[in-house]
Amino acid sequence: MIPPAVAISAVVSSFLLSLLALGFTFQYVTLNVPNLAYSTIAFFSTYITLTFALFKFTPYLSVPVSFLIGGLISLMMYKFLSVLRRRGLSSVGLMIATITFDLGIYAFMNIYADYIAYTLKVYTRSFILSDYDFRLGEFPGVLFVSMITAFMLTMVFHLILTRTKFGMSMRAIMENESLASTQGVNVDSVLSTSWFLVGGIAGISGSLYPMWFSMDPWIGARMFISIFAACVVGGLRSIYGSMLGGFMIGLSEVLVTYAFAGLVGGWIWWYRSVIPMIIASVAILIIPNGIAGLIENFKRR
Amino acid sequence: MPLETLILDILTFFCIYAIFTMSLNFQMGYTGIFNLGLYLPIIAGAMIVAYVPNRLAMQIYNITGLDFIENNAIVITQLREHLQRDPTTSMFLLLITLLLVIIVSAIIGYVVAHPALRLPANYLALFTLCIAETGRVISTQTYWIAGGPVGIAIIVPFWWLPNPYYGTAIFTILVSILIFLIYIKLSNSPFGRVLKAIRENQDTAESIGHNVSLIKKEVMVISSIFLGIGGALHAFDMGAVIADGYNRVDFSFWPWLMLIVGGAGNNVGVLLGTFILVLMRRIMITSKHYFASFLPFDVIWLEPILLSIMLALTLIYRSEGILPEKVTKKKKTE
Repeated sequence: MIPPAVAISAVVSSFLLSLLALGFTFQYVTLNVPNLAYSTIAFFSTYITLTFALFKFTPYLSVPVSFLIGGLISLMMYKFLSVLRRRGLSSVGLMIATITFDLGIYAFMNIYADYIAYTLKVYTRSFILSDYDFRLGEFPGVLFVSMITAFMLTMVFHLILTRTKFGMSMRAIMENESLASTQGVNVDSVLSTSWFLVGGIAGISGSLYPMWFSMDPWIGARMFISIFAACVVGGLRSIYGSMLGGFMIGLSEVLVTYAFAGLVGGWIWWYRSVIPMIIASVAILIIPNGIAGLIENFKRR
Repeated sequence: MPLETLILDILTFFCIYAIFTMSLNFQMGYTGIFNLGLYLPIIAGAMIVAYVPNRLAMQIYNITGLDFIENNAIVITQLREHLQRDPTTSMFLLLITLLLVIIVSAIIGYVVAHPALRLPANYLALFTLCIAETGRVISTQTYWIAGGPVGIAIIVPFWWLPNPYYGTAIFTILVSILIFLIYIKLSNSPFGRVLKAIRENQDTAESIGHNVSLIKKEVMVISSIFLGIGGALHAFDMGAVIADGYNRVDFSFWPWLMLIVGGAGNNVGVLLGTFILVLMRRIMITSKHYFASFLPFDVIWLEPILLSIMLALTLIYRSEGILPEKVTKKKKTE
């Protein structure tokens, strides 16, 4: 029997990771650039949530602010990458360019953590906000909030993508950017909006993590492994595949570690972030196109 | 810090980082392998230095009843007393450690290359980055290797010299020069030209009979060995190993910036880029205490901001670097 705390960790982690994987894959598909700053942008929101908690507001009020800030940083990054693209920088050069944002935000996060610690005399290098959460019966609020948020955002994203003119333009750009441009799609405007949206979704996802998991300024670098593993398992270029991958990695990261902990001891929890990388390495060797590729092959038959 | 020590400090750091950037240049500048996880063999090198020579020395001098991690300060003091009088054992420990670093780094290079080279360029970079980050997590959480996030002091193989710091620095510089010469020799050889052919068009290189996969694996193994040695030299130079310190910013992003600022595919450019940035970093590190008194945060966080701004400016205004790669002139035929 899995203890409730482990089950809650698995569910919260899988829903939030699927949202993070969605944003990462979307950004990759639209510009053909893996955004190395993605997880740092997402987890920057953890400090917004902490600030709300420290000033005695309910931490969930940080969600819209995190959406806005995550979206704005993502938009700024898109504009920066657009300038470099116009100057003819290759996709690898653009990937290196994303490091500028990763470093800047990472530094700012640490400066902010130091500043709060200095002014409010609290410890900000490692924190968890589960005490600030509400409870529904036996269960913490974040369990329901993460599930509802993931369902709603996926639904809204899907509806935008399939039912609106904007979504149609977005899909056209993903298929062939220059062709979409010749058909009258304002590529820059559509990509700006979509990068803002997925940056915002990443921000929301990051803002909910500290409600159940322990956070620190290095969390972005660590979580990047899980996001990457989710995208590899789901399919490198499939948005819905990577969401499924995110869900699977989130679940297996917790449950596989729990299973091993029963066999070898509790110390294995320290190595939890190794599990996604093992799964990703095996997936690359066995199913290089991920689950999405498998489904595609099955459909063709 | 006295001027000569400062100069030697800058020179040593330049040499260590030049090993990293030359290795990166060999992979990325010459062969087109986009490796963001170059700090994996660096971590391996540092971890071997943290584990092997210290325990071996404890065995040799029969230091029992003390745990190297738990009683680190006491053990190091005892080892220092022995090694100060014993240059032969010191050199034996140094050589055996470097030999082990070479073997382990070569295995890491080969093992990582196997799944990594199946991936397209962008995802290769991500894969290597995640593998290296996993390595960092393992080395940081495995307390018995190097004391976890707190770190440990280690032996210095030149304690027998009147000035051990100078000994380590000069050894580092000599080994680095040897590595530079090997890289320059390889880059200018027919093998180097094959690497450039692979970088420019992999399919064409394959069609004229080159085993691209094997050559790429060779490149990964060679550069991994030198990165591992660089990691070991860094650990010896510091006289301590803090596993958490071997992170992606210091040991992957900084070398990438040095490469981009200098100019990928040009060894001289890469060395120039490395020198400029090492000089800037060391000046920042040595002068940071001037700012510490009036800033409400740790000054070290200004370093990534500087790196970020420099990278952005370089990419916008001079993406090919200060000394771009020279175009090979065709020989005129009569």
